[in-house]
Amino acid sequence: MATQATMMDMTNTQNTRHTMAHVRKILLYAALIGASLFFLFPLAWMVGTSLKTIEEVGRSQLNLLPADPQWTNYDKLFSDDSFYRAYFNSIFIVSLVLLGTVTSVSLVAFSFSRLEWKGRGLVFAAMMSTLMIPYQATLVPQYVMFHQLHWIRTFNPITIPGFFAGGASLIFLLRQFMMGLPKELDEAAMIDGANPLQIWWYIIMPLSRPAVATISVFLFVGTWNNLMMPLIYLQKPALYTMPVYVAQKLNLQETPLPWQDVMAASVSFVVPVLVVFIFTQRYFIEGISTTGTKG
Amino acid sequence: METQARLDNLQWSLATVVFIIVSSIALGFLVQFLARLRGLSKAEQRKLFWGVTFAGPWIVGFFIFVLGPALASLYYSFTDYQIGDSINWIGVENYRNLLSGEGRVGRNFNKAMLNSFYYAVIGVPLQITAALIMAMLLNNEIKGIRIFRMIFYMPVILAGGPAILLAWRYMLGSNGGFVNESMRKMAGFFFVFDYIYRGFIFVVEALNGFYTGIVHEDPVGPLKYTIPAAIAALLFLSLVRGEWGEGKRLLAWRGAQILGIIVFYSLLAQGLIAEPVDPSWIYVVGIVALGMIVLLARQGKREVRYVQWGALVGLVVIALAALNHVEFEFTSVAFTRYLIPLALVATAVGGSLIATWDRHLIQIITATIVILSVILFVRLIPGQLDDGRLNVFTEYLTFGSTLDTTTDQDYLEKVYPVASMSPFWIYGLVIAVLIGVALLDETYARARRYLATGALIFFALFAIGSFLDARTYFKAFEEIATAAGKPVYHFALFRQAIAAFPGSDRVPLWMNSELWSKPSAILITMWSSGAGMLIFLAALKGVPQSMYEAAEVDGATASQRFFKITLPMISPAMFYNIVIGVIAALQTFEIVYILQTPLTRDSLQSAAFLLYTRTFSELHIGEGAAMSWILVVIILTLTVLQFRFSRSWVHYEA
Repeated sequence: MATQATMMDMTNTQNTRHTMAHVRKILLYAALIGASLFFLFPLAWMVGTSLKTIEEVGRSQLNLLPADPQWTNYDKLFSDDSFYRAYFNSIFIVSLVLLGTVTSVSLVAFSFSRLEWKGRGLVFAAMMSTLMIPYQATLVPQYVMFHQLHWIRTFNPITIPGFFAGGASLIFLLRQFMMGLPKELDEAAMIDGANPLQIWWYIIMPLSRPAVATISVFLFVGTWNNLMMPLIYLQKPALYTMPVYVAQKLNLQETPLPWQDVMAASVSFVVPVLVVFIFTQRYFIEGISTTGTKG
Repeated sequence: METQARLDNLQWSLATVVFIIVSSIALGFLVQFLARLRGLSKAEQRKLFWGVTFAGPWIVGFFIFVLGPALASLYYSFTDYQIGDSINWIGVENYRNLLSGEGRVGRNFNKAMLNSFYYAVIGVPLQITAALIMAMLLNNEIKGIRIFRMIFYMPVILAGGPAILLAWRYMLGSNGGFVNESMRKMAGFFFVFDYIYRGFIFVVEALNGFYTGIVHEDPVGPLKYTIPAAIAALLFLSLVRGEWGEGKRLLAWRGAQILGIIVFYSLLAQGLIAEPVDPSWIYVVGIVALGMIVLLARQGKREVRYVQWGALVGLVVIALAALNHVEFEFTSVAFTRYLIPLALVATAVGGSLIATWDRHLIQIITATIVILSVILFVRLIPGQLDDGRLNVFTEYLTFGSTLDTTTDQDYLEKVYPVASMSPFWIYGLVIAVLIGVALLDETYARARRYLATGALIFFALFAIGSFLDARTYFKAFEEIATAAGKPVYHFALFRQAIAAFPGSDRVPLWMNSELWSKPSAILITMWSSGAGMLIFLAALKGVPQSMYEAAEVDGATASQRFFKITLPMISPAMFYNIVIGVIAALQTFEIVYILQTPLTRDSLQSAAFLLYTRTFSELHIGEGAAMSWILVVIILTLTVLQFRFSRSWVHYEA
């Protein structure tokens, strides 16, 4: 009898355990979905607004979706010359920065990880210590320098610094990855008579693809989003990049504020970043787990 | 036109590539040549050539874009350089303008720094809490967790650009914006939500109203003593309570260090501003510095060097400031007031730097401390009694008032109390007692307890007394102001917020009010705290499951498991997030740029934003450079401090 009672007890507790686990899981999903809504909502609101009429925008309301989607908002945007100009300026700058920075960063990371030379540790430590220097330290004098070069109101101040392996955190990330590749690869190639340049291009770079992808996506998002540098240096509507174009869209003098136009421009600005992010998100997450910084 | 610009840029890019290749190879050859001179082997030379050539782009870039500009900006910061103007050396004028908090620039800088402080003290903890909650939600092995992780991280990608910030600006519209509308709907839906809604509005408005009062430098009267005294009382309370151990000693020591650094920087700033420094300060600095030196040297710590050099630098600054103000005559009384303590302290500090440590030296320095303390005490009594400084102490400790309403009516606004005592006196006292507490070892356990308890009682009484006097002061101020028909602007927004509770007519005004602008910025940073979340998530994954199981067997509750296992185990991640968060708070730019309205620009702006407007819109290069150097010093100090103090609470796995 006694044993039977304990057995029943046990099944009972197991059952409660089971339901508890279920309840916990349901609560967890509820919390996750609730939080996701909070994170996604501004984006959804942006898209919804971009399709509203100006009357709908002006009214106080909670409707996420427009009563009647106004695709003409986008027609208006796409017929605007300055929109295309800004878009191409952005694409142009991002491509050049990506090309220049990724190439130079990978060369430097290669030197810091695969080549043995006297004083490498010292130079590497100096590079890492630049991570501590806030960008403000060099912002002002760089402006003066570019001013003296007559580079204000040109793309140069934004693209050229990248060619000099800008970004210590990118070098660090790539170097960490290259350190992990087996040493025998270079040695075998060296015996075959390859010089370091060939080793870099034919052996290390193809193997470092995941890390190169990681730094590329960080760079892409960072450059595409960057508002401060274009504001400082471009100063001329013809040279505006997308961030500046979008920011200037909000003209506080207009009443009522044409939020639907601002949001349409915002949506077209955000789309490339979102697409890149969705397809490459594992690189972002790996990148942050490796270095702890966001680029 | 833009096509031309792009073509130009391509040409420049090509030229840059050629330049980098040529200079890198040249650098490689140069280093190879130097290696040959130093007699390195052929193979070593070869390796050096390749290594330096490959690292060349960074090395060349470092000189052109980092080192050169940094030195140039240091130079500019001492000039009145404006683009298109000649450069004139003006010494520390820029720094003085910024740090004095006077004039348009100084006031703006002051406000921006206070805003950054607000973001760091209120924003960063909220951000970190949000990140930790998100990470703990994601730290579950269930289906679809990767998708949730992606969604949680996505705001980080978007928040770097202006588009989503504009969407937030629209959603946060005070009149019919989505956030307010939905909150109002919720509040009307269920009465509990209504209470929460009104409570939220009240807390935010009261907090920000108080903060705005401080930023606008409303006359705070005796409140300026209340806050430091109350903090000191709390500190001593935690020292007195419970068992005395190594942790308590460390607490006293750390407290003394932090306050010492604050006082040191304030003195440095005062020295730069070149206000006449009260000679009593030299005694305080001397006592504090020498106490620290003895303590550190007895423990054989290497940090003693920092204190020694720091004290010497401080003395030089004070001496220069004094020379700036006192007629430079060796025989003048004014000069000897500075000369005697300066010589005393400098000799003792310098002696401790040169001589080897033995018991005699410690005795000599201790004797110097005693002499300095005696002189300071004597100076305090006859010198200050007339102008009422000591009066402040006696009155507050007996809950009296130092208010004198008999004099003219503007009087209250200008000076209060009768003779304004700098609140830094309190810091000096606290540091002195803390060092005393930290110095006394087990042999003098009783003396230590008496000292800490005495300090606790002293500061508690002082805090209460000054608070009571503050009330008298506010009342008197109000009467005088109403009689004179002047506005009573004492924490007006704060008082409005308090009076409005629990009214139903208040709505969050977000970017349209100083009370709400900073909370809106913080809301957005909380929304995009996914980077911190990933750091926490990685740390949480590293906590061994067996620890939780063992704790569960021992009957630990969920909150015990969180505070006793999770938090200590992820403390390195926490530390990292705090460092990054505080630095980011100083550098916020995009949010301010997009959210600001003419009304809230001042209350939103961060130091980085002010730097941008001052330098690149108004083209004051010299001032901008000075501002950036102040920022750099603050950021570096914060980083170093956080690393140093992390040792006492961050647990790295063995």
